[in-house]
Amino acid sequence: MDYTLEDLEKWDEKINEIYPKYKLDPFPIEYETIDYYEMIGAMAHHGMPSMYSHWSFGKSFERTHQMYDIGMEGLPYELIINSNPSIAYLMRENPLYLQILIMAHCVGHSDFFKNNRMFKDTRPESVIQRFRAAKKRIQSYVEDPNIGIEQVEKIIDACHAIQFQTTKYGLRRRTQEEVREEKLQELKEAKIRNESNRKIRLERELEKIPLEPDYDLLGFISENAKLPSWKRDIIDIIRDEGQYFWPQIQTKIINEGVASYTHYKICHDLDLDSELHLPIIKSHNQVIRPHVGSINPYHLGFHLFRHIENKYGWEECLIAREACHDASFIRQYLDQELCAELNLFSYVKKRGHGLVVEDISDEDGWEVIRNELAQSVGGGSIPIVYIEEVRRNNELVLYHEHDGRDLEVTYATTVVHHIKTLWGNAVRLLAKVNDEVISID
Amino acid sequence: MSIFREHKTSADRSASDRRRHKEKIQKAIKEGIHKIVAEESIIGENGKKKFKIPVRGIKEYKFVYGANSSKKVGSAPGKDLKKGQKIGDADQEQNAPGNKGGNDKGEEFYDVEISLEELSDYLFSELQLPELKRKQLANISQDKLKRSGYRPDGILPRLDKKKSAIARIKRMKASGFDPETAEEGETFPFHEDDLKYRHFKLKQEPCTNAVVFFLMDVSGSMSTDKKFLARSFCFLMYQFLRSKYETLDIVFVTHDAEAREVDEKAFFTQSTYGGTVASSGVTLVHDIIDKRYHPSAWNIYIFQCSDGDNYSFDNKLFADKVSELKEICQLFGYCEISPDKDTSDDTYQQPTTLYDVLQPLRDKKLHTAYILKKEDVWLAFKNILNGVDSEV
Repeated sequence: MDYTLEDLEKWDEKINEIYPKYKLDPFPIEYETIDYYEMIGAMAHHGMPSMYSHWSFGKSFERTHQMYDIGMEGLPYELIINSNPSIAYLMRENPLYLQILIMAHCVGHSDFFKNNRMFKDTRPESVIQRFRAAKKRIQSYVEDPNIGIEQVEKIIDACHAIQFQTTKYGLRRRTQEEVREEKLQELKEAKIRNESNRKIRLERELEKIPLEPDYDLLGFISENAKLPSWKRDIIDIIRDEGQYFWPQIQTKIINEGVASYTHYKICHDLDLDSELHLPIIKSHNQVIRPHVGSINPYHLGFHLFRHIENKYGWEECLIAREACHDASFIRQYLDQELCAELNLFSYVKKRGHGLVVEDISDEDGWEVIRNELAQSVGGGSIPIVYIEEVRRNNELVLYHEHDGRDLEVTYATTVVHHIKTLWGNAVRLLAKVNDEVISID
Repeated sequence: MSIFREHKTSADRSASDRRRHKEKIQKAIKEGIHKIVAEESIIGENGKKKFKIPVRGIKEYKFVYGANSSKKVGSAPGKDLKKGQKIGDADQEQNAPGNKGGNDKGEEFYDVEISLEELSDYLFSELQLPELKRKQLANISQDKLKRSGYRPDGILPRLDKKKSAIARIKRMKASGFDPETAEEGETFPFHEDDLKYRHFKLKQEPCTNAVVFFLMDVSGSMSTDKKFLARSFCFLMYQFLRSKYETLDIVFVTHDAEAREVDEKAFFTQSTYGGTVASSGVTLVHDIIDKRYHPSAWNIYIFQCSDGDNYSFDNKLFADKVSELKEICQLFGYCEISPDKDTSDDTYQQPTTLYDVLQPLRDKKLHTAYILKKEDVWLAFKNILNGVDSEV
């Protein structure tokens, strides 16, 4: 180790002094130094100090460990969680220059967690306690002789399958009362104006459960299925934790962009000796390098922020970090100029031809590429499935919201089984595959 | 001002999750293992070698996008790309490191290192030898030497060096002799009383001797494919019996129109162009049993693999001989290898095979099975042990 904790404190102080210049406003940060084994352990639990017990975290650990061992994946330079104060992990083995870079990077993440509007309902002050309490409760169900690990695991497996099937972009889910109120109001109007078609439609809708399509699958099941209290509790726990992580899934590019651009700015302003500055520049270039044939979020995010600052000034960067998620970030700021600079292109797999370039960032192509990207980033990689209605025989009917991309049927079939486990009655999913509506049950 | 601290390690945080994951993988191995038993690389290995088998990871299912969403966006700064340009093979893209985006539904495999013994444990833990064997086992006993403590005298090969050295050190400590402070040349040699010998006692133990006869048809009609299936079957049976018995004799017999006892290599490789007289094989087995393996001292297993093609005049004699053998052995398993058999066509009159000949004789000691393809080997193996007939 070529540094002491006092050295880190000294550098932290210098970094702190730079905050006002860029109007950075992070949470207070608590850094913990850990070794590589602990880092893999922390990663398996998404950095959370306490996490309920489940085999999938063991699998994640083994996977990372295996990847690291065969050199396929380096460990992340930093791991920081969305809490207040922020908790960040530094690998003890890192040399001083890397710790400085990571600390500057963490400031960016912490600033983003605190200020981005997607995170406003994540309650970072209490997240550590919430996760700890959840872990304890789930452990008590595992130890309960009437429940036991097999049953608990079955419920957790099922919940994990649909943990992120929730409202888009963290829109607040309206309560049934609110929706009913609105529909009744509308119905009153329809009656006054004597619009019989609208009246009939509203009357029919008012008899349905749910009153409007519900995208929050775990939330709906928790509220409407007949469940013993321990099952409902597990469902609620995993739904809540999903809600906590959901903003992070939707802001991968912008979050890494903020952090990378912040560390770039801070390290530049630290007036470092060349023996620290040169390796920092080298690591920085390594982190934000483009990955051939795919999108490196650090690369795209960093260049988007640099582009915004050059074109519209720093204030606009602060607005973007506050208002955007990945999809809106790309739609709003990725223009033809930047597309061409990064040489973005789209490609498809063609049978017998391998991978073939479809669009390039020229006059005609760049918008297609931008839209393609905006559709697939963040939460866009998760198909949207919503609850249409509960039929009289208690069958739960789900729809896949088709956006040009089909569902993978074998996976969908297993997920439907998982939903059945939770719902306790028949479940049916209607999805359009190869231009035909199929029913999976 | 940030806070810096050493992370307080509270044990290995994901240890129990990893253990649980491992248990799940082991369960998966157990459930899926019969799929790998017919793999060529396993057959013929001896017990000590470890080999890696890929085990499909425990999948976590989620809604993911399917085949028509393969369009992706990439970046290639500084490169000149044109529409329609080919940039790689489809496989390449899937293997590209760091390309984990979107719907990651690729198969995950874990390499699990496993020895043949462990494999046998997984395979055979749920299988039992047919019940009559245990009754037989209890009746037969054998004298066996068993370790039974130490004695101050005995023969040199049974000298226990460690115990003897300990006795000398004890005596040395008691006498107050200290080699550290001892004068030059002064030593503390062994005394006769220090020497300890291992002692053995004769004990009566139930006998677990068994002999297995593998009997294979090597006539002209047995093709390489058929032999491979026969070999897989024999190998599996051999592993199974070896896991249940301490000592196991194996006798290989091949036959066409005549039978002969051969070594393992010849058994699996030889082929002839002769016709088939199946009774010759069972007759030879009977002779060998009479000479070398008395039924009162040996558990006898006989497994015959054939494609069922026999001269029809011999069928009666064959059946009689099998009935005789059945009386003295633990199990007679007949396994018919007929990859060409057409099971879909009922109207076509299939020629009578040995399988058909043996059907009237089937009972708890005579089991029969069919192998049509590689996947049937495991099933045939189980059916022969359990006495359930293959579904054809």
